[in-house]
Amino acid sequence: MANVEITKVRKCFGNVEVLHEISLSIQTGEFVVLVGPSGCGKSTLLRMVAGLDVPTSGTIAIDSEIVNSMPPKLRGVAMVFQNYALYPHMTVRQNLSFGLKLAKVDSLEIKKRVLESSEILGIQDHLDKKPGQLSGGQKQRVAMGRAMVRQPKVFLFDEPLSNLDAQLRVKMRTELSLLHRRVQATSIYVTHDQVEAMTLADRIAVMYQGKLEQVGKPLELYQNPKTKFVASFIGTPSMNFIEGEILTKLKPPKGSVCGGFRPESTFLSEEGAPAKLFLGKGRVVLVEPLGAMAYVHVSLAGQTVIIEAKSEVFPKNEDPVSVWIDPTKIFFFQDNGNRL
Amino acid sequence: MKKDSSLLAWGLLFPTLLVLGCFVIYPALQSFVLSFQDVEPFSKQSFFIGFENYMVLFRSPDYWQSLRVTFFFLVMTVIPSLLLSLAIAITLDANPFFQNFLRTLFLLPVAISSSMAAMLWIFIYNPTAGFLNYILDVMGIQGPNWLADPDYALVAIAVATVWKEIGFNIIFFLAGLTAIPTELKEAAELDGASPRQRLFYVVLPLLSPTLFFVSVVSVINSLQSFGQIHILTAGGPMGESTTLVYNLYRDAFVKFRTGLASSEAVVLFILIMGATVFQFRMAKKRVHYG
Repeated sequence: MANVEITKVRKCFGNVEVLHEISLSIQTGEFVVLVGPSGCGKSTLLRMVAGLDVPTSGTIAIDSEIVNSMPPKLRGVAMVFQNYALYPHMTVRQNLSFGLKLAKVDSLEIKKRVLESSEILGIQDHLDKKPGQLSGGQKQRVAMGRAMVRQPKVFLFDEPLSNLDAQLRVKMRTELSLLHRRVQATSIYVTHDQVEAMTLADRIAVMYQGKLEQVGKPLELYQNPKTKFVASFIGTPSMNFIEGEILTKLKPPKGSVCGGFRPESTFLSEEGAPAKLFLGKGRVVLVEPLGAMAYVHVSLAGQTVIIEAKSEVFPKNEDPVSVWIDPTKIFFFQDNGNRL
Repeated sequence: MKKDSSLLAWGLLFPTLLVLGCFVIYPALQSFVLSFQDVEPFSKQSFFIGFENYMVLFRSPDYWQSLRVTFFFLVMTVIPSLLLSLAIAITLDANPFFQNFLRTLFLLPVAISSSMAAMLWIFIYNPTAGFLNYILDVMGIQGPNWLADPDYALVAIAVATVWKEIGFNIIFFLAGLTAIPTELKEAAELDGASPRQRLFYVVLPLLSPTLFFVSVVSVINSLQSFGQIHILTAGGPMGESTTLVYNLYRDAFVKFRTGLASSEAVVLFILIMGATVFQFRMAKKRVHYG
């Protein structure tokens, strides 16, 4: 296991700068998730840690050794790819042992490691099958096994669950989380799915347009977002935003501000919480019932806000409703997206 | 409804079946029948003579000579053509710069007709005014009379054939290489494979279906080579470039021994079939279809 230190890393493709001075410190045994929308540069950053891309400037250190010009095989990293990248002409056993054979590891040791990792991942019955004979979930386990047997210093995951169906994704997410708890390996995980990020990460690094927006523990990002982008990206459904101006503050910021509040801090009645603030009257445009609760979309002063309603009886479409919010749970953001 | 679609299918297939029947299947069957007959060259009379044509064929030293020449020609064209085109395709795949230009350049000989290509090589191989001997002369080497020397004639034809065929192979290999996902090569790189190990353990096994197809087509093309031999050496000197097909042509259209030529065609068919079946057998173990 090792720590990873990314310092002021920039990456340019031609004249286009896709990563702007990224600095990130990952502790030994930590599970850090790089999350952000498509094209934000998270996979590029991961590939540079792997050694598949070279930074334009800045340094990447693994185990306190700068690895910028070190070939991938010497970095002690193993990567799980989005489309598994299993060798289709090899059996599962050959896929798992390929890297070890190249490293000239003793054949008994190879056998032992292959057996161990296949038992951990529950693929011991498929060792003599080829990848084409496996399901998506099994392929994903083999891909993880291939990384595990090499006992790398750092595990890299590039959207490993995005090719799986929703049900299997949830199952594999849980397995991955349990696996990390068991192996305690330093891991960098790239995803655009914030639910995956929230459930798996020790810390999340939110990326946007080639920059790190915020790094922190999952709940810290949820409860204390530093920018409007982080506030909108973390949490499902997304935070509600209402544009406006601050009139009562002594030194009000220039330009307009944006008030953000989460669906669970918004209510359809004054009952329940003592410090509720009346936001206005609106009309229900959509109800998404999820069993014990529902997301109610309310049109309010020309904008739509989502309210998490916990009740036995939910309002119906076109019903007039009053909307209340918890004033202690409102976040204000400036024009530039930074929090006030 | 099912009957209607079946009728439509037969209707659509009919023109192709008609052409295939008239120009491929009927002549092939006729050739098989003729191989057991003695055909009078200037009359339409023919007599059943059993395996006599085959006996004459296998007793003929010229035929065994042509079989030997065909084998050497096969080795001298297929192996260099496959290795060279594979090497060029791998180089082009790794260096995308000028790939389109170079691909077109290598494909040009394929687009030229066999006779045109052969004429070009006649100029190159010309012992006094040819480009090849001029280069050798500059280097202080006395070049041979390439197409008239029994030691060099077959090699000279093989070089011209490889030059002509290589572009076709490169296109297929490039398509096969492009279809290999980059992630697999990257995964192998992360697994610690050197460029050579990536080539032998990942790229070539995944390219094996293309490699198999190209090798089957190359073997068949080589066994059927005719145009360049006819124009460059006409089978000479001293039969050193007379392949099975050229021998067949001479027996059929110069000596008018139709029955004997037909038996040669049947033997050639069996040889090609045998080579293809052998390749398919080998492919079972070594070709990976993913």
